[in-house]
Amino acid sequence: MIFLAKAALGLGATLALAGVYVFHEGLIQVSVDENRASGSHVHIWVPATVVPMGLHFVSDHKLEEAAAKAGPYLPVLREVSKELAKYPEADLVEVRDATQYVHIAVHRGRVYIDAVSDSDNIHVSFPMETISDVADRLEEVAPGV
Amino acid sequence: MNHISRSFLGFASCLVLGACTFLPLRGAAQTSTKTDQWIHVRVESKDNSGETVRVNVPVEMAEKVLPAINHENLRGGKVHIDNAHLNDVDLRTLLEAVRSSKDGEYVTVQSNEDNVRVAKSAGYLYIHVTEKKVCDKTAKRTEGKESSAKNAAAKESKVEVKIPMKVVDALFSAGKDELDVLAALRALSASGDTELVNVKDDEDTVRVWIDSKNVSD
Repeated sequence: MIFLAKAALGLGATLALAGVYVFHEGLIQVSVDENRASGSHVHIWVPATVVPMGLHFVSDHKLEEAAAKAGPYLPVLREVSKELAKYPEADLVEVRDATQYVHIAVHRGRVYIDAVSDSDNIHVSFPMETISDVADRLEEVAPGV
Repeated sequence: MNHISRSFLGFASCLVLGACTFLPLRGAAQTSTKTDQWIHVRVESKDNSGETVRVNVPVEMAEKVLPAINHENLRGGKVHIDNAHLNDVDLRTLLEAVRSSKDGEYVTVQSNEDNVRVAKSAGYLYIHVTEKKVCDKTAKRTEGKESSAKNAAAKESKVEVKIPMKVVDALFSAGKDELDVLAALRALSASGDTELVNVKDDEDTVRVWIDSKNVSD
């Protein structure tokens, strides 16, 4: 009985710690709804911690290609993520007309991107740290690109 | 409740407490109150689409990000101009003359098509341009009534630019054939709340200003 209790305690503690670690950087939320018959509806919630971890499973060849394309923008991405961290509440861009609405904002340290039109509703949100995590990994694979 | 359950409950409570204290750490570092300057751009279209564009960017962020952008003529926060003598006008000499002169109205052009005014006052450079549309002139000639005059006024295009002289100085502080945008931004952030550009015509309204609010009006 004591052995089982100890095992349960160990398992519970491990799960709790793993949960804290996985979710401590927050979630990446992607929501895409196509407003048409048989349009797709995609809703994804992924812990942000998974991104840098997941990038380690992507082949270096693919990452090098991505790094080559994103190379000129990596320093900009890095600076933007570093600077945005200082502004946890900000409406950065808002474009609105009769049929479309695009909004990029930072709220409580998360980046929110909303693009709403007659045909699609797209909502993406992620912790700011995700930007620098991706930039770091790309630079690691192809330094000096 | 037996001893094991109590131990487990205690341990779980410690974990939750630890998690709660750990989680806000990253957020707490970010929620410091910022009183920095923000550049705001607002474009409003008066046509049926009602298009509105609002951009709010912290000046400090622009200062940090700008040197990281190396694209075409923009390198290291400086814009290279291929020909500084634009249309045979030496901008640098012209601005040097304005800078060293006393406050006053330097250029006043009034014609049937445009009114242009360039002045310096209390450390600011003012450029006001009013463009009158051709159709308005026709309306004035043919009707000459009060209503047509009002119509003509509505169809004017007005551009008002107000720039602190320190910003102008900083902009031209780089070498020949270069505009130091980064230095201008730094000077701008030290200038306080300012309305920089105001454009009004019958189609759009454009406003660029700087203040310490992180949202536009």
